[in-house]
Amino acid sequence: MWTILTAVFVIGIVWGGVIIFLKKAITFEKNKKEEIE
Amino acid sequence: MQQKEFFTSRWGLILSTLGIAVGTGNIWRFSRIVAQNGGGSFLIPWVIFLLIWSVPLIIAEFAIGKSTRLSPIGAIAKTAGKKYAWMGAFVAFVSTAIMFYYSVVAGWCIRYFVSSFSGDLFNTTNHLNYWKDFSESGLPIVYHLIAMAIGGFVIYKGVVKGIEKANRFLVSSLLLILIILLIRAVTLPNAIEGIKYLFTPKLEYILDYKVWLNALTQNAWDTGAGWGLIMTYAIYMKKKEDIALNAALIGFGNNSVSLIAGITIFSTVFALSSTDAMMQISQSGPANTGLTFVYLPLLFSKMSDSTLVNTIFASLFFLALSFAALTSLFSMIELATKTIIDFGLSRKKGILIVASTGFVLGIPSAVNMQFFINQDWVWGVGLILSGAFIAFALIKYGVDKFRTDIINGFGSDIKIGRWYNLVIKILVPIQVIILLLWWLISSTSWDPEWWNPFHTENLGTCLAQWFIVLTSFILLNKTFVNSVLKKEN
Repeated sequence: MWTILTAVFVIGIVWGGVIIFLKKAITFEKNKKEEIE
Repeated sequence: MQQKEFFTSRWGLILSTLGIAVGTGNIWRFSRIVAQNGGGSFLIPWVIFLLIWSVPLIIAEFAIGKSTRLSPIGAIAKTAGKKYAWMGAFVAFVSTAIMFYYSVVAGWCIRYFVSSFSGDLFNTTNHLNYWKDFSESGLPIVYHLIAMAIGGFVIYKGVVKGIEKANRFLVSSLLLILIILLIRAVTLPNAIEGIKYLFTPKLEYILDYKVWLNALTQNAWDTGAGWGLIMTYAIYMKKKEDIALNAALIGFGNNSVSLIAGITIFSTVFALSSTDAMMQISQSGPANTGLTFVYLPLLFSKMSDSTLVNTIFASLFFLALSFAALTSLFSMIELATKTIIDFGLSRKKGILIVASTGFVLGIPSAVNMQFFINQDWVWGVGLILSGAFIAFALIKYGVDKFRTDIINGFGSDIKIGRWYNLVIKILVPIQVIILLLWWLISSTSWDPEWWNPFHTENLGTCLAQWFIVLTSFILLNKTFVNSVLKKEN
């Protein structure tokens, strides 16, 4: 139980953080490209 | 001095900066520290310190580099005031001193890649002797030269054709190799036991202050936050480039790599050797050499009945390790070179000076493990002081002004809130004081002659070497300001 909770907490924040920020970065880059075009 | 060369895109900047952060420490030090500090119990504070140490300091470095376009001496002088140029010099010196012996480490990794790829590594069953024969021969000097030559060549090629191009290839390949190794490791029989160990928290460890201090130390040492390296690469980011989002990606990306490496190593170790697995991981030799160069080759030799398969996976592992070491080494060479350029020398001359001095001053670490351990200890702890100087620069400038004008200024994709003021003004200084006191006071317990500056790893050697460097730089402060800032004007 605690093992799963810890894994969800750690992986959720660390890998979740990467996914969220990467998604944001891709969106911003896409918007900037569209603006230029 | 007008900045002429920039990273071509956000992705080039991110991959290059990730190359700084992801080093050998993510792969070997992380696993050892996790094993020593109760697995899952360590990971909880490790995540918390990512948020209150690594990411805020990476943001600070990006912002200082982007706004000043100068190497640490000029950057700190411009941000904190001319009186504090010596702090920037200390930041630059610490990373350069680390470069001298880190090139040796990169050389070890390259050597083990060559050995595993050629099959030579599996011609022996005694991997401890194999490591000793290598480390006590003249070969580490040769491989140190190779690492320094590769680094010097990449930096010579410039920001776009050198740093960015190399990192795009090396960091992408490193991530791909780590994912391949991860898939192989988690599919080994009994790998689940390693994963369980990695994520199972133990209450007695969570309540132990040493686990928290080790988690903070790991973040301070393996993200590259507070080293001045990210500050140096930020010089080459375009004005329209964002700070906060890129910094967050680097911090989280770096810790993600550590997690991938940790799962891979724990799964492999538990799958192939259940009896002495934990002892082998936690009782590693100097610079974690025991785990990486003695125990892991043994594990790879037991991975399957096919020598070819074992050779492929061992080669991939040491190739990943070499890539991780080299991409971090590039940034150290670039920092030292850019510092020389700021004094008015050409890039070509700067690289020549850095690469040749780096090779010569790295030789003592290549031939003498005691010297290596001493330098790793003195400048490893010195990095905490570097982080403190960077936070001090922001405090002197005014954290709120710095946040609104620079971090949230032109080009920012996301805005940083007031929480950042609290972190830089209060939490980072508290963490610095606690870490420094803990490491220095702890060192008195493992050496009865803790005051002796000629011992390898104690308080005396640390304070003596810091004193010499800091006093010299404080005395040279005016010269630094005149040379760097006047040249810029």
